[in-house]
Order: sequence, then structure tokens, then C-alpha cells
Amino acid sequence: MKFGTRWPPVPAGILIGISMLLAFVVAGRGIGASGAMTRFVAWVQHGLFPAATEQSAYFGKYFADGAHPLNDYVVFLLVGLLIGSFVAAWLSGELRVEVLRGPRSSIAYRLVLALAGGVLAGFAARLARGCTSGQGLVGGAELSVGAWVFLMCIFVGGWMAAWFVRKQWI
Amino acid sequence: MDMIAPLAKTGMISSSLNLWLAVPIGFVFGFALFHAGFTDSRRIAWAFYFKDVGVPVVMFSAIATGMLGLWGLSLIGFLDISMVYMLPTFLLPMAVGGLIFGLGMVIGGYCPGTAAASIATGKIDAVVFIVGFLVGSLVFGDFFPVWGDFYNSNYMGAYRLDQWLGIGLGTTVLLVVLIAVGGTIFMRFVQNKVWPSTETDPQEKQVVKLQGALIAVAVTIGFVFAFFPSERFIDDHVETPYYIVPKTTVMPGNSE
Repeated sequence: MKFGTRWPPVPAGILIGISMLLAFVVAGRGIGASGAMTRFVAWVQHGLFPAATEQSAYFGKYFADGAHPLNDYVVFLLVGLLIGSFVAAWLSGELRVEVLRGPRSSIAYRLVLALAGGVLAGFAARLARGCTSGQGLVGGAELSVGAWVFLMCIFVGGWMAAWFVRKQWI
Repeated sequence: MDMIAPLAKTGMISSSLNLWLAVPIGFVFGFALFHAGFTDSRRIAWAFYFKDVGVPVVMFSAIATGMLGLWGLSLIGFLDISMVYMLPTFLLPMAVGGLIFGLGMVIGGYCPGTAAASIATGKIDAVVFIVGFLVGSLVFGDFFPVWGDFYNSNYMGAYRLDQWLGIGLGTTVLLVVLIAVGGTIFMRFVQNKVWPSTETDPQEKQVVKLQGALIAVAVTIGFVFAFFPSERFIDDHVETPYYIVPKTTVMPGNSE
């Protein structure tokens, strides 16, 4: 059987699960994406306002004892993720510069909502101590109560807003 | 008995090798995200309209795989689970975080991992989403004293479903697998009702067979787990209170 570009969901999910399992076995921790992005903004802000960032209650820990915020597991993981996705898209002939949106959505409408959604998700990922992968998938596998509550609330929140942004997608 | 894994914590590999091994692990993750169709914001958003329920099904499959592997390797004595970082529960902050995150996902069309993967395939909306994501993270960190108390509230430690339900860990794993299977079938049913497919996939039968076989394997392993008492999976007497981030002062090496 040939899968082509888009695999059926179960084998695709199993491969994501295997990457998580590899991280458990090798590093004793899970995978994640949002942590690297938090470290990235901390690093950028540190370039502009070093003292304030080092004293920040939240970002300060990334600079403790002269540490570099980007010298961390999650950053290496993100680099691998970018390469992996790039190679998969390249091998499938799907590398294309474009704005993905529903048939009734203009490019401007899509980009404004992408920005707004990003701000909300960025704030929420920090509040929940992780995103879909780092908190949801990893915590889900670890049977964490908080992670399962987080996952269920993602779908509740998504369904609540779905009707209002339907023109963007369907 | 000395266990082999986690390799970085049992001293099998150095910490710098562990860092570099994160790159191939991330590679597998990103490669899988692309083939799951998660670099396409429409596919992610369609989950919330039941137009394409691939997202929850992929997530169920990933969780089931990681869960069966993690607890299974602990059961056979390969992985020392006390050395694995267990995510702590802060109930209300995670519930509110989940709600806002869900809003962000259906409005923005991505979550951070999928947006990063999508940037690597050239998608402009993913770039814009990540710009927003970075702004949101920055706002959270810079105004941390405003919501720091809430962030640290409802702390329950590394609290697991089996402890909450008061049943065995193996039974809980089986239950999660069964819920994943039931959820998958239910969502496919809703999708077919709301958005009846017009195209016929020539591979349909083969795909159903393959996925059915994989699911059967997962359910079988889950049933085996249910026969073992919780102590065979994890020794519950260690409490790690180091997840609390102090609101005003940071004492490196002290709080962690």
C-alpha cells in the first residue's frame, strides 16, 4: 500500500507517538514546541533590554548563572522539527509559498485572524505550561489529569469560536 | 536492577549527546506532522467543524502510542520512570489555558508545533501565526506578576488519572485506549453525517484494514496492562514541588 503525501490518521499519529517515546527513552522527557518559542522571545528581548529581562520573574530563569536561553533541549528539538517537515514536504513536492485559507476567505482576513489566533494561543500555552504537544500529547501519555483537562478544554474552546470564524475555513 | 533508560539520566549518554539527539527526534516529529496533514491550517481548523476529524484521531493515536510505550517499557524494567519528567497539574490554569488555546487554534488555524512545521513548507499564514504566538508569549512573561498567582494556583503535583479515578494504572491505560477507539469511531460517524464524502477512495478498504489491525494491537496491549497492579508501573512516593514559579523573585538553583 502506498500512502502518498497524506497518511491515514492512525499511522501518522503512531509516528508522532514514536517521536515522543524516543524522547522519553533518550532524554527522560517529552517533546514540545512552545518552550523553544518562549526562549526565543526571551533571547530577543534580552538583546534589547538585558537587565530587565534577567530580572524578569518569568524570563529570568533562562539566564540564571549566565545560561544562554537557546542552549536547551526544546530548541534542538524545534530545529529537528523544522528540518523534518521541510524534508517531508520537499520529498512530496509540496514546498509552496502560499496563504492557506477557505474558499470564501480573503488573504487579508486570513492573515489578521492568523495573527489574533497566534496571540491567544501564545498566551494560553504559557498559562497552561505547554501547548498541544508538550502539554497535551505528552501529558496525555503520562495520564496527567491537567493535560487531559487541557485537551478537552481546547476542543470546547474551539467549538465555541468555530461558528464566528466559519467564513475563514468553510 | 539497573535500568537502561532514560539514557541521558542513567549515564548511558552524555548530556551534550542528548542535546544533539534531540535533532533527529524532532526530525521524526516534524516529518510525521507533515504526513499527518498538520502543516495545513485548514485541516486543523476543519476538526472543529467535523469536516475532517483527522486531528483528534492523530492525537488519540499519538497519545496511545506514547502511553503504551512509556508504561510498557517501565513494566518490563527497561525504563526507570522515576527519572522521567512527569508533567504537574495546575487544574484551573490549565482549564482556562485550554479554552483560550482552543479559541486561538480555530481562529489562527495552528498550534505552535504545526505552525513551525508549516513555516518549513512555505506557508505565509503560519509565519503570521508564529509572530502572534511570540507576542502572546512575551505578553505573558512580561506581565507575569499580574497573573502569576493564578498561574501557580490549584497545584496538585504530578496527579494522574488512575489516582483521580481510584483504579489501577493498567486499567486506566486500557480505558484511555478504549476511549480513543470509541472517540475515533464516533467522530468518523459525525463527519460522515455532517459532511458526506462525494469522492470514493480506492484505497479505502485497505486503509480501514490497516488501521483496524493497529487499533486491535493497541487494545490487546491495553488488556494485558490491566492485569498488572499499579506498583509494577510506578512507585508512588516521590513528591516534587519544584514546578512552582515564584511570582516576584527568582532564585536560580533554589526553586528548581
